Amino acid sequence: MGAVKSARFTRSWSWVAALAAAGLVLPVVVADPFALDIFIRVLLFAFIGVAWNLMGGYAKQLSLGHAAFFGLGAYTSTILLIRFGISPWIGILAGGLVAMAASLPIGALCFRLRGPYFAIATIATAQVLMLLFLKFRDFAWGAEGTTLPNLGDAPLMMQFESRAAYYYIALALLTLGLAITYCIERSWIGFYLVAVGEDEDAAEAVGVDTTKIKRHIYLISAFLTALAGTFYVEYIYFIDPNTAFSFNISVEAALVSIVGGIGTLWGPVVGTVLLEATSALLQSWLGSGHGGVQLTVYSLILIAVILWRPNGLIGLFTDLYQRFTHAGAARARKVPFDG
Amino acid sequence: MAEALVIRNLSKRFGGLRAVQDLSFSVRDGETVALIGPNGAGKTTSFNLVTGYYRPDTGSVSAFGRELVGLRPHDICGHGLARTFQVARPFGKMTVLANVMTGAFLRNRNMDIARSRARAAIDFVGLSAKEHTAARELTTIDQRRLEMARALATEPRLLLLDEVMAGLNHAEIDQAVALIGNLSKRGLTIVIVEHVMRAIMAVARHIVVLDHGQKIAEGSPREVVANAEVIRAYLGTGYRHEVPPAGTVGGVAC
Repeated sequence: MGAVKSARFTRSWSWVAALAAAGLVLPVVVADPFALDIFIRVLLFAFIGVAWNLMGGYAKQLSLGHAAFFGLGAYTSTILLIRFGISPWIGILAGGLVAMAASLPIGALCFRLRGPYFAIATIATAQVLMLLFLKFRDFAWGAEGTTLPNLGDAPLMMQFESRAAYYYIALALLTLGLAITYCIERSWIGFYLVAVGEDEDAAEAVGVDTTKIKRHIYLISAFLTALAGTFYVEYIYFIDPNTAFSFNISVEAALVSIVGGIGTLWGPVVGTVLLEATSALLQSWLGSGHGGVQLTVYSLILIAVILWRPNGLIGLFTDLYQRFTHAGAARARKVPFDG
Repeated sequence: MAEALVIRNLSKRFGGLRAVQDLSFSVRDGETVALIGPNGAGKTTSFNLVTGYYRPDTGSVSAFGRELVGLRPHDICGHGLARTFQVARPFGKMTVLANVMTGAFLRNRNMDIARSRARAAIDFVGLSAKEHTAARELTTIDQRRLEMARALATEPRLLLLDEVMAGLNHAEIDQAVALIGNLSKRGLTIVIVEHVMRAIMAVARHIVVLDHGQKIAEGSPREVVANAEVIRAYLGTGYRHEVPPAGTVGGVAC
């Protein structure tokens, strides 16, 4: 049993090593800035998905308002940069802290509700923040938004000539998110989160402080999502409330996790890669004309995935992988949460 | 002997329904007490009041000298009261081992220690062969076993079992009775809600009878089954003739 386990262990680590190596050399191989842009978006949305998945996936608190933290991260670092000349490297952490602080009252309100009502309440919080930033012009440029000053190649201000640099930042963010998830999954925190996601009353019965664990995971999830917000603004050099608090961000965060595999380490990554690839391919085949044919086909594919693979596509891959390797030994691994 | 659980003047209403009215009883340390009565008598409501799932309108609950009213369920579990649910509520997508480890983490957050303590609890309820089975794939009976193991992993001093024997066959009831007997021998105080009279007579030293939210009788098993009020409200007149001689296991299930 131990030998089998350690063989599986080294095999999965060699996968991770191969993936990391591929990730590191990719910008060297792919010089095309358009292609690199797609990869940066994949990494960024995979990261947002990973941040969402900690709370939405493991603890099944289906938030549809993560744009609130994305936007707060984006605005905090931008305000610090433009008004006070503070580097976004500091701003990104400040944004994370602001998002954490915001998650406390938002959580206190929304966690009173369960299931779909919780989701609706979180949508509302992101919308309220968007309205605040739209209305208060003196505070943050209102609806027009602002462009970021172009400082040329200024690594200390998170601005780079080369697109590869942005790629590596996004890769680092994703790695951070995955590392945090990995540690949580393999500790009591992961067990407590899944317990909350499965049955809150039963979790309380075995001593899980459900309110506290939800609050804590919301803090972490909000912090990570805010990092993505800062990075995104620094990458596109522009901010306005409609971009920063976009409902699309909230939906995408949930969607990539659900399509890939909710409550799994690699689910959001698999989901983002597949969704982005599908979307990019459809766009090149069907074009963006034809009155949204491409979006229709994309939606149909989404519906098909949700119907056939409600637990996400990652299950499909592990099934195939086990069929090609040897099925018997890996059976235990099919259960997502084992001791 | 010290009192493990003291319930005083406990009442709970749901709208116009008086689910529990002015209930008082106590459980001594190390004792096994059964709570019986017809459906809707307030047995499960009493459990929910004791374990913090409902807040009583009036009255107090104290365990091992500590007032529990106002505490949240996880705090109450932390004070050494563990419960099972009438309909088992396992964490479906976790394995048996992971379920029980979740309980063990209350006393120790270390993975290896939690795992070995969980294994001991799983072994105790006889579920070791299914350690790596997902909980949702277990039979109802095994899910109840699992729930008991999960409760035991929190290292309780007082265990509240809500109808753990419903739907079991005779052999399984004997197993469950033996299990509860073993727990009691380990020094655990047990409060059990049950309809299977044969099992109650075997495990309980003391019986509290509820009807319409009120306590109608209390005493040793022999006293209770001979009580006219209890026969009228719960056991039925047929039971009178089947009272077993003291010390044997028998009688009929209601």
